[in-house]
Amino acid sequence: MNAIQTNQLTRSFGELKAVDHLTLEVPRGMVFGFLGPNGSGKTTTIRLLLGLLDADQGEAQVFGFNTKTQANEVRVRCGALLEHHGLYERLSAAENLDYYGRIWHMSKEDREQRIRELLEPLDLYKRRDEPIGRWSRGMKQKLAVARTLMHRPELIFLDEPTAGLDPVASTALRDDLATLVAKEGVTIFLTTHNLAEAEKLCTQVAVINHGQLLANGSPSQLRARTSAPRLYITGQGITSQVLDDIKKNTLVKRVQQQNGRLVVDVNDLTRSHEIVKQLVNANVLIDEVHKEKIDLEDVFLQLMEEEKRGEE
Amino acid sequence: MIADIFNVAWKEFREILTFGDVRGRSKFSQIIMIVIFGVVIPLQNGRHWVTSPINILVWGWMPFLWVSGVVADLFAGERERHTLESLLATRLSDQAILFGKLLAALTYGFTLTWVIMLVSLVTINVAYGRDGLLFYPTLITLGALVFSILISGLSASIGVLVSLRAGSVRQAQQMMSVGMLLLFVPFMLIQFIPKNLLISIATIVENVQPVQVAIGVAAVLVILEIILIAIARRLFQRSKLILD
Repeated sequence: MNAIQTNQLTRSFGELKAVDHLTLEVPRGMVFGFLGPNGSGKTTTIRLLLGLLDADQGEAQVFGFNTKTQANEVRVRCGALLEHHGLYERLSAAENLDYYGRIWHMSKEDREQRIRELLEPLDLYKRRDEPIGRWSRGMKQKLAVARTLMHRPELIFLDEPTAGLDPVASTALRDDLATLVAKEGVTIFLTTHNLAEAEKLCTQVAVINHGQLLANGSPSQLRARTSAPRLYITGQGITSQVLDDIKKNTLVKRVQQQNGRLVVDVNDLTRSHEIVKQLVNANVLIDEVHKEKIDLEDVFLQLMEEEKRGEE
Repeated sequence: MIADIFNVAWKEFREILTFGDVRGRSKFSQIIMIVIFGVVIPLQNGRHWVTSPINILVWGWMPFLWVSGVVADLFAGERERHTLESLLATRLSDQAILFGKLLAALTYGFTLTWVIMLVSLVTINVAYGRDGLLFYPTLITLGALVFSILISGLSASIGVLVSLRAGSVRQAQQMMSVGMLLLFVPFMLIQFIPKNLLISIATIVENVQPVQVAIGVAAVLVILEIILIAIARRLFQRSKLILD
């Protein structure tokens, strides 16, 4: 059974379709990245999955429970760090976690042990009795992540957990998140527009814009699907005959010359040495070969552009 | 469900009693209030503060003052500080959240009133109790205990309704202040009632036993509270609160 399954899930606010016929499957035990620009429908999707909003059409199931009719069963099994950290700033870090532990009916001993277990790896345990009002945003976000894990949920929703953090704090939180995920083994539904974050943490990603699913797959699948890896070759003796010969290679998708460089779009970057060998055999004196790795950001931008062109 | 209600009330109490900021100041103000109503005013009034039956009105009115000070924050404050959505995303039922918050406000109202009653008693005994210990008459004690709970409940229910509808704590507080002023409207209208009618009403009141009046008022309060809580339950909808 999948952790999350949606079927044609749709939710509108007036004329605006925030989520538009979204069909998704998120297997258990993975970090699933839900990517999209601001206002693309990521937060609404989380709210629908948690049963905080009702869908206009379609349906969603979390661990087999219908999010509309069995919302409480869904929430029992989930933790959520939503758009805002939602911590009580007048309470201490320990009190914040303790409250959520009480909500999930954890015993006093279990709550104390769990608070230690979660805060120690985050370097927050020594400061657990401080009211968190004066803590930095990064520390609060870490605490909020710990809070989502307090009751050992099977699935956690993290809505842009590093939004608004400086690069150092974001990296630290990402590392902590990776550590906690590995340790806890939960399914994570992570929304973000930080593609480096998705690349680092997610085993599968979906791209959404204007409420519609644009792509879904592993980061490498998306890279392969949307854009060919590219080789930049500089050297001497690149004649038109050499270009024609290269084009005939089945590995090559496209060849062009840009500013004296040979730009080769290939099917498989791991076999680029075959192209280099062919050039050397054709007496080309190679100065430099540069492999361009397409990252998720390129994929994302390409998908957004494709969508825009489609609309036009 | 009961455990959930107590958990929510526990958190509310922790916040009410926390030093530091907006509500934190309330702890300091609580001490000032205890000193004013438990020491200063009793000293000014003398032993009548304990013995006079009219003081039942003071003990009945007092919880409204305490509860209205904190109740505006219950939902409007959570919404303003963006903590409400996280709470709604938990396993807590709507009723547990609603009744937990109501319980916290209600308990705060009557507990503070009872503390002040106790401090007043100590003050009066220290200052005027040379001829023997002074106690509240039984009826006053009973009336004060019952009415402090009922008035706390009434103001908590009104406050929860206001807090659910208000966009911010400030707006909720303003609405509560207007509500408090409205409570005095009937007293202001008394002067416009024709004298003959007033005399007739006074005759009826004179012939009624105070205990009967108290029971009647208590019954009206209970009915009012039930109605207000029912309205609050209808208004408390997760999806509505999320979109607000």
